Amino acid sequence: MSVLEARDVTKEFREGRESVPVLHGVSLKLAPGEIVALEGPSGSGKTTLLSILGCILTPSSGKVTLAGEEVDPRHPERLPALRRRAIGFVFQQFNLFPALDATENVEYALNLKGIDGRAARREAERLIEAVGLADRKRFLPRDLSGGQKQRIAIARALAGNPPVLLADEPTANLDTQVGAQVLEMFRDAAKSGNRALLIVTHDPKVRTIVDRVLSIRDGRILET
Amino acid sequence: MVNLAWKNLLYDKLRFAITVIGVAFAVTLVFLQVGLFMGLLDNASVTIRHLNADLWVTSKNTPNVDFAHTYPETYVQRVRSVPGVERADNLIVWFITLVLPTGSQEGTLMYALEDFTRWGLPWNVESGNLEDLKRGRYFFLDRSAEKRFGKFEVGEYREIGHRRMKIIGASRDALSFSTTPIIFMNYRQAQEINPEELGGNTTYTLVKLAPGADPKVVKEEIRRRLPYNDVYTKDEWAYQSRNYWIESTGLGLNLGMTVLLGCLVGVLIVAQTLYTSTMEHLKEFGTVKAIGGGNWQIYNILGQQATIAAIAGFFVGAAQTWALKPLLAKIDLRLILPPGFAAIVFVGTIVLCLAAAMISFKKVASIDPALVFRT
Repeated sequence: MSVLEARDVTKEFREGRESVPVLHGVSLKLAPGEIVALEGPSGSGKTTLLSILGCILTPSSGKVTLAGEEVDPRHPERLPALRRRAIGFVFQQFNLFPALDATENVEYALNLKGIDGRAARREAERLIEAVGLADRKRFLPRDLSGGQKQRIAIARALAGNPPVLLADEPTANLDTQVGAQVLEMFRDAAKSGNRALLIVTHDPKVRTIVDRVLSIRDGRILET
Repeated sequence: MVNLAWKNLLYDKLRFAITVIGVAFAVTLVFLQVGLFMGLLDNASVTIRHLNADLWVTSKNTPNVDFAHTYPETYVQRVRSVPGVERADNLIVWFITLVLPTGSQEGTLMYALEDFTRWGLPWNVESGNLEDLKRGRYFFLDRSAEKRFGKFEVGEYREIGHRRMKIIGASRDALSFSTTPIIFMNYRQAQEINPEELGGNTTYTLVKLAPGADPKVVKEEIRRRLPYNDVYTKDEWAYQSRNYWIESTGLGLNLGMTVLLGCLVGVLIVAQTLYTSTMEHLKEFGTVKAIGGGNWQIYNILGQQATIAAIAGFFVGAAQTWALKPLLAKIDLRLILPPGFAAIVFVGTIVLCLAAAMISFKKVASIDPALVFRT
């Protein structure tokens, strides 16, 4: 049984009068608790595929099913609700809110997911403690190291307990040692929480924690 | 609940301060312009407001209280005979020339009544006895005249209408819109000064209604009996006197332009700072969308920021204006800011700041959440 599935997904972008195909019939499945790496050179369609799987973009054709719900490209207004319910994102640049401290960054994500007040604050603090930053919970992002920021980003992605985690080059801005710690944290988040985890990466060390590696070339998936 | 709008404002304190200062500047500009104008305009009807008359009979088409026209003084008898009239007296308001000790001539606005005390004019007597005005060639001079006429003392003489007349008292706060100083003298004395125009004539008839009398009914009856005169209630006459200056001088348009300019400055500052802030926070807003937020969440953030800037800017602007009030009073400029007007400016500031924030809404709506993947 899969928690995230893409079937024959294509995506074309319009550039003036021309239509530029980026994905050509991509299919993949992720089971709960499964960790998959998606590798590929620049321009291969990794980010476009991640955007479609993350309900940020809709496919030109094909089907995406997320946590049992089929994404309907005719209703893009429903995508934010699906993102809130089913997906946790981790970005290469961390994308933390600079004006919010570590706990507030997580709490804000919980607020967007409809969890407010003390419950949100308690859950945010629990997640911050879970990523080992209890002593940094009142720190602003500017006062945190790259690894600490990424751990906050992971805590934020876990907010609301989504069944799918999508990570875009999560170790690209981290040194080897910190990168390894972060990867360990990802593995723990996926395995202990029974979450599907897709990591888009160029980093070979990611292979140490994944169950499968998918390669993408010119908009086509090649399983390795 | 985490308030991202408030946190972002406090995170960039300099930008927030600039926005607040911009709004405060616009608020101060509007308060000063309108407050000073209202203060000036109040002079146009200050005597009407203080006189104890319920109705004013004027000659036909008199434009305002200062620019009076004459009509036979015997008309007062017809007014006195109207049911519901407790008392009616003639009042002369007339421009005359006053010669200063230096020999220079200055215009002055004369208010002449037989019984000043009864009608409550002047209302702020600094020195002298109003009853003494009946006793000879005497007059009261308002202290505000010192700006135009120079210092004066009670007991001094001035030449009015080729007559040497003695200052027997001084009043305060009796002003005219045109800043022409006001003097008070006996009704008969005024007619003697200018017998060609004022002999046997008056310019107004003041009416005090009997208790319980219906002003509308009495007004209609006076109008019926004096078809070649106009009759106004106190409020109507005060309004007409003020409105004359607004319409005839173009001051209303001038004021409107300045207020518009103040609003425009405020809107531009808020719009510009919010738009720049939006552009700088695009990736953050993209993140809000990526983690499940919609456009409304971001509109809410921008709306809150605009409202906070508006409220802070309003209070800073209002505090600045109130701090300026005593300084302006020292140079005889009155600032009148009724609470209702302050409330209108408060609401207007919020509405305009929200409108300014909406300029950023279009940009927000077009944010592609996929930009969160770009480095």
